[in-house]
Amino acid sequence: MSAGLRDIELRSRKTEILIVVTVLVFSIPLILGYSLLILSSFSKEMVTNLNPRDFIPTLRNWILFFEGRTAVFGGIRVNIWHIVLNTLIVALGVSFLVTLVGSMTGYAVSRLRFSGRKKFMALLMLLHAFPGSVMVVGIYFLYLMFLPSYQMVRLYSFFFVIVARASLEIPMATWLMKGFFDMIPWEVEWAALVDGASRLRVWRKIILPMVKPGVAAVMLFGFLAGWMDIIYVRTFLVDQTLATWIESNINAEYSYLPLVAAAGTFYLLPTIIFFLLAQRLIFTISATGVKG
Amino acid sequence: MTREVSGDMTKSNLFSKIKDFIHSDAFIFLLPAIILIIVFYLIPIVVSVYMSFTPLKNWNIARYIHEFVGFENYWRFFYMVTHDPTVRPIFITTVVFILVTLAINVLGGLGLAIATFFMGEREASSTQLLWLLPRMTPIAVYSMIWYYFFHGSAIGTLNSILMSLGIIHKPIDWGQSIIPWGPWMIIIFVNGLVGVSYGMIVFTSAISNIPKELVIAARVDGASNWSITKNILIPLLKWHIVYVTTWQMLSLLTTYDHIFLLVEWGLVNRYYGTTWALYIYNMAFTAAEKDLGLAAAAGVILVIVGALLGLLALKILGFEKMVKEPRGDI
Repeated sequence: MSAGLRDIELRSRKTEILIVVTVLVFSIPLILGYSLLILSSFSKEMVTNLNPRDFIPTLRNWILFFEGRTAVFGGIRVNIWHIVLNTLIVALGVSFLVTLVGSMTGYAVSRLRFSGRKKFMALLMLLHAFPGSVMVVGIYFLYLMFLPSYQMVRLYSFFFVIVARASLEIPMATWLMKGFFDMIPWEVEWAALVDGASRLRVWRKIILPMVKPGVAAVMLFGFLAGWMDIIYVRTFLVDQTLATWIESNINAEYSYLPLVAAAGTFYLLPTIIFFLLAQRLIFTISATGVKG
Repeated sequence: MTREVSGDMTKSNLFSKIKDFIHSDAFIFLLPAIILIIVFYLIPIVVSVYMSFTPLKNWNIARYIHEFVGFENYWRFFYMVTHDPTVRPIFITTVVFILVTLAINVLGGLGLAIATFFMGEREASSTQLLWLLPRMTPIAVYSMIWYYFFHGSAIGTLNSILMSLGIIHKPIDWGQSIIPWGPWMIIIFVNGLVGVSYGMIVFTSAISNIPKELVIAARVDGASNWSITKNILIPLLKWHIVYVTTWQMLSLLTTYDHIFLLVEWGLVNRYYGTTWALYIYNMAFTAAEKDLGLAAAAGVILVIVGALLGLLALKILGFEKMVKEPRGDI
């Protein structure tokens, strides 16, 4: 897809520079906030006070972080890789489920005629207006009702948090995938159906490979949703993830702040990587996900 | 007699409709979504309604779940909202938070989309990248960044900037001492930046669908940036502006995760930094005495408000226009 409409060459260079500078001025807090966090993770003292004398370069925070030492002097050791793994499990689980359900539902609302189709799509829009905090209260009730035996609780909590968190992303994933399915010409499908293939088979073998960018986008958004989540994880998951680790360490008495900055920077890495990969995708998607 | 027959007809119609649906292709494709929506949206709401009529406390389900108190939790919530000084601020905070953040979100998104339109390709994509970052950043990290930015001691970035400029002489505890504007400013700022990117994405893609000829013709006629914006871009974006405004309003009514951390970490005042949605979560999960009947009652009212606003939004947006019938089906 092309980069879309840009203003043409006739605009003046001077006003363009003026616009760029104005946007930059508004962006200062944003740039400052992120840079100071990353800089602090490489310094002995937090540099958020903008005092250059506090910037003493060191890798110690990162070493402490990977050793799982939350305090400079001893303290409780946690296996940080375990926490990273927990975060990863939740993210991958959510990503998988959201992609599967989103691409099935998106296909149905894009291609199939069924009674209540419009009502179903309106419902998907309305689900967005459902307050998350009220749902969490009800979901926690269900969580307690089906609580298994003591040995199984940790496994159960992983399963539960993945399914519950993925459900939250279904309206988004459906609308997004619908946009991608809408772009595929009907003729492809008709040909296969006339040849006698079932809908499920056509969807899996022919249509799905044609919407790879859409599938990639939903996988990506699903992954990030699971990776960044804090509320569901802190409410349901027995184990810690990076989010809850940071939550409990930021103003604990024993914590060493530059170390928390290092943890935050580490937690930010997939976002940056995935974001660079997906940047083009995001703007193509929105052209299809929302009425153009 | 005829009435009976027609009654039977409608019943069997509904029944056969459901039967047709179960045997249709669509059923298989929709089944996973239907199950998840029932289990994680509809049942939780029904459970919340049920809970709001019980005196449930501290998740002691076995002890309280069979007791009924009627509408007592609702009366209690109304009474607290009108009389309890620790609950009263929640409403005004929610209203101010939604209105101001919404204005920032929509105008900011529109501003960014139009500004990037007038930039070169490279500058435009860096700007978009930068402003998408807040939405893509893990909530804990994003909240942490602003925790240090607005921190009440000399380590806070805002304090040190103002101090080195000589505007203030000692650090100000923005979120705790300047009530209510301090905590309001912080939660609005933090959520404002997250929401801006949504408008930016929608408006940018809408602008990219505008026929090139319109802008080229205007340029050739010597139109300025401002008149292109006012006479071409804004009128063509009208539908999208309404869309982003309503969608974002619903998001702001229900969002609470960033604010949750800011309140928990003590950056902002608990009473003037808590919105309605967060109040429910905290009452159910972090309060010393978890008054779940009350939390559920407050939640049910919020669901009703959200649903009404949602239906209104669908009406305003002309939902019919958004869902075309599929073209052909074998």
